[in-house]
Amino acid sequence: MKVSEEIRIGVYICHCGLNIAGVVNVKEVVEYVKTLPNVVVAKDYVFMCSAPGQAMIKEDIKKHKLNRVVVAACSPSMHEPTFRGVLSDAGLNPYLFEMANIREHCSWVHPDDKEAATEKAKELVRMAVAKARLLEPLEKIKSAVRPAVLVIGGGVAGLRATLDLIERGFDVYLVEKRSVLGGNAVKLGELAYTTLTGKDVVNSLVEKIKDNPKAHIFLNSEVEKVDGSIGDFKVTVVRRLEEGKEEKIELNAGAIIVAIGYDPYEPAIGEYGYKTTDKVVTLFQLMDILSEDGPTKGELLIGGIRPKSLAFILCVGSLSTTPNAKPYCSRMCCSASLKTILKIKEKYPDIDVYVFYKDMRTYGKEEDLYWKAIENEVKFIRFDEAPSVKPRDKFVEVEAFDTTIQERIAIPVDAVVLANGMVPAADIEKIRVMLKIGCGADGFLKEAHLKLRPVEALTDGIFLAGVATGPKNIIESVASGSAAAAKAATIVTKEEIEVEPLIARVNEDVCSGCGVCAALCPYEAITIEVKEDGKRISKVNSMLCKGCGTCAAACPSGAMQQSGFKDNQVMAQVVAAFRGE
Amino acid sequence: MKPVLVVGGGIAGIQASLDLADQGVKVYLVEKTPSIGGRMAQLDKTFPTLDCSSCILTPKMVAVDRHENIELITYAEVKEITGEPGNFKVKVLKKPRYVDVDKCTGCGECVMKCPVKVPNEFNLGMDMRKAIYIPFPQAVPLKATIDPEHCLYFTKGVCRVCERFCPPKAINFNQKPEEVELNVAAIIIATGFSLDDARKKETYGYGVYSNVYTNLEFERLLSSTGPTKGEVVRRSDGKHPKKIAFIQCVCSRDELTNKYCSAICCMASTKEAILAKEHLPDVECTIFFMDVRAFGKGYQEFFERAEREFNIRYVRSKPAKIEEDPKTKNLIITYEDTTSTKYVREEFDMVILAVGVRPIPLEGVLKLDEYNFAEIKEPYIDPVATPKEGIFVIGMLSGPKDIPDSVTQASAAAMRASILAARG
Amino acid sequence: MAEFKPKIVVFACNWCTYAALDLAGTSRMKYPANFRVIKVMCSGRVDPQFVLEAFKQGADGVIVAGCHPGDCHYVNGNMKTLRRMTMLKKMLEEMGIEKERFRLEWISAAEATKWVQVANEMVEQVKALGPLKPRLEVRE
Repeated sequence: MKVSEEIRIGVYICHCGLNIAGVVNVKEVVEYVKTLPNVVVAKDYVFMCSAPGQAMIKEDIKKHKLNRVVVAACSPSMHEPTFRGVLSDAGLNPYLFEMANIREHCSWVHPDDKEAATEKAKELVRMAVAKARLLEPLEKIKSAVRPAVLVIGGGVAGLRATLDLIERGFDVYLVEKRSVLGGNAVKLGELAYTTLTGKDVVNSLVEKIKDNPKAHIFLNSEVEKVDGSIGDFKVTVVRRLEEGKEEKIELNAGAIIVAIGYDPYEPAIGEYGYKTTDKVVTLFQLMDILSEDGPTKGELLIGGIRPKSLAFILCVGSLSTTPNAKPYCSRMCCSASLKTILKIKEKYPDIDVYVFYKDMRTYGKEEDLYWKAIENEVKFIRFDEAPSVKPRDKFVEVEAFDTTIQERIAIPVDAVVLANGMVPAADIEKIRVMLKIGCGADGFLKEAHLKLRPVEALTDGIFLAGVATGPKNIIESVASGSAAAAKAATIVTKEEIEVEPLIARVNEDVCSGCGVCAALCPYEAITIEVKEDGKRISKVNSMLCKGCGTCAAACPSGAMQQSGFKDNQVMAQVVAAFRGE
Repeated sequence: MKPVLVVGGGIAGIQASLDLADQGVKVYLVEKTPSIGGRMAQLDKTFPTLDCSSCILTPKMVAVDRHENIELITYAEVKEITGEPGNFKVKVLKKPRYVDVDKCTGCGECVMKCPVKVPNEFNLGMDMRKAIYIPFPQAVPLKATIDPEHCLYFTKGVCRVCERFCPPKAINFNQKPEEVELNVAAIIIATGFSLDDARKKETYGYGVYSNVYTNLEFERLLSSTGPTKGEVVRRSDGKHPKKIAFIQCVCSRDELTNKYCSAICCMASTKEAILAKEHLPDVECTIFFMDVRAFGKGYQEFFERAEREFNIRYVRSKPAKIEEDPKTKNLIITYEDTTSTKYVREEFDMVILAVGVRPIPLEGVLKLDEYNFAEIKEPYIDPVATPKEGIFVIGMLSGPKDIPDSVTQASAAAMRASILAARG
Repeated sequence: MAEFKPKIVVFACNWCTYAALDLAGTSRMKYPANFRVIKVMCSGRVDPQFVLEAFKQGADGVIVAGCHPGDCHYVNGNMKTLRRMTMLKKMLEEMGIEKERFRLEWISAAEATKWVQVANEMVEQVKALGPLKPRLEVRE
């Protein structure tokens, strides 16, 4: 870029339908922006991210020879990549673009003070324009891609992802902490509408994987360390051998799929009588009991006896029904409970079954389970307050206020089944910290976008499959395994990928080699080199630098700067918060 | 590397296309209507995040348009599929728009000049479009289309005003349907859904009482791009409602119509009730439900927030009937609150029916159940694969589901199809 | 006399605090319009000079906000922030800038409620203090 090049900025204010325009006086903002130095075009439009909105920018870049673009609209986390793409298409460097957030940070939070919101919008745009003036063109950094994928977790989701990727022709490192593959699915017994068991499903997937030379399975193994970034993750796996020994394995993968599953909710001792009597079991325990290779070889025996009556209590550990319970819905338990009941009724038609429920959530086609349960004379009792379970001498009494008949009832049964939900896996915290991905308020892994990016983590190159992101049933977990594989495939099918260039760079003329930066870098991306003339200079490894900017903040001479967040760029925003140039 | 066909340009079809294209696979995306976008383009906001639907959808639509590996074929239908996996032969009929898409700039002059008004499908008949039209402002591709069933030239041999005023001279009344044959390795079917006919529930008076709407119609009312520019007003008198009732499970969970649960309506009504309160802070919203299907991630929290912060009233009841006050056009709902055994008649200004979903299948290729949902061969092992190898279904077509599940299935099918494509 | 409308500059880290502010937006939470947010990738990018410049330009308050210790997207950028800002706080005090005018906050991406709380508190406190005086003059 020539030093004397005239800066020509195009500014676009989005209405976002009424989301912004309903609060911020967009026309007033446009008029104000026209007064700012270097602004040659200022326009507004109803949806800047739409095709006509994008076309408008492209046309203006050509027509008005724009060399900087500012869009005032939603959060950059929504559309910064979209608009960067627009600049690329128009032949302008995509990093000559800045956004002002006048929706999430303005119109949506100040709906009652339209004047203040409009003033704030003007200043936010002014700040973006001030930064845009100082933006420099940047080139993406290219990185060679390792054509292999790391899959953490060998449950059904991880297995499906592995199978898809090896069929697609890629090496997969499947790391499983247990000594067998299959995760929690192996203990689920017969699944709904089939005689297939969870174990059958697992075996079916494992059969197709185990002899394929592209599948590298590590049992009794855990991922200990992950370095590097998308295209080139450097992974350390620890495998437990016999006699307490350990083996460290170093692997290289282009993408990572996290499929660490869940733990069934474990009721507290005494919660609904759990562990105070052998007549109370959890749903997961019951499904195992009914499995042919379970503790009773598939015979329905609870506390040593064949129950003639059973009470199921739903939402155990979910929907805040008890102080220990999680606030969320565990999604699969209504269906899993009814499926199990129908299997029991098939084998033992004379058993009386009562279902105590708060809300029946057999969604979609699973509603059929509810119809069938009713046909099979299962009795449903609705509660608002959690039922109480009182073990008596020869039976267990379940008591609840039935909201449908508006009466308190107590039902004596031979055994009680607590339909327990799903909670995040015990090692989720360790794994997410190691991968630097986030968890949501529910404790499960957080996806990049709940609606449109359900299997992607915010960190590039890391994907999330199965119950790791939240409760789901087997069919849904398996689908998400394939989905995560598809995302991983978009990386490993490429020979090289491009990485964001918003990283640290050294001005060697100014650098004194003091080394403060190198000491601070969490990725050890900075080294101090000694040149031929003895001068010490800081050097940044652009593949390891993740662009935090900590070194730049510490640099005493200003030699270390972060592209896109240089001192002068940030300072310009600070100044512009208070005045125009 | 062989190409893959995706049938249906809703969010599921769009996502499948992008995932395949990003792997370097060529994709033909065939869409029946003049624009991609599907149902999501008709939503104002999505639950539970209250994202602006257009805002998260349109960039994906544009990405499809821009992607060098995706050939977008809109206003076209798949007529025949033969062959086998790795080598399907598909006959696609491109319907004539009577507009040259290479010349059309989407400027809209023709639309302004056209004298014919037709009920607008995008707004579910609540306002009018012209005989030459662009389905919605963010349509991809942004091109005009002439509807020959209503165009004066095609019905009566007169007019041709659009032709006169079109700046790039893009109107071409001589266009003919064009059949093309595609050769593809795999096919992903994502033809989506529509709502069932609420008139089947006669006791609710849909289609008879002016102020009874479906979820989707109300969604259009809430949208700033809708027939009333986002003003929530009643059909009968144009006034703001003060009390809105939502009735769940209309043509769902019902022996007389559809026995399945439509999965999305509890959350859709919760969302619409919240949005109604944002539009009209004093409005009272009541949702009559059987069970709250708040099963997904963030759904229970959304439902509790609706009760707590927005004072949405939830009544566990399936109302028996709705009557209309002939003077005020208000609706009187008769119901029994099943948690109190009270029998009530309550008056509302507006009633929204959460109508069940019906899949739109592709004729001929799929094994369908009695409701037209497509059969999956081995749901536990390959949840998107039909009994016909190489043909996959995603989204609502295999069962009612929300956007995250549809998008997940879309990526899953893209993965499965890419394996066939790579075999070449 | 016109009502005092404090202007408060916020340096928000991309992964946590900026996302929390976005979440406050998507959740339609309401808070005062006194804030001007500058996004950085990590709170560790915030040079104390930026804070001083903000006060010099006329800020009545400044917030530096990032991820909770242990949660930094870049491992421990926020720990460096903590050290720097602790020192900066001492410096600001000596310059006569009341301690309520400068805050270091840890706000995670899910904590929109916490942001609104902090925002309301800060505006109240700064309003009570009045406009920043004397004007900070730092030789160029």
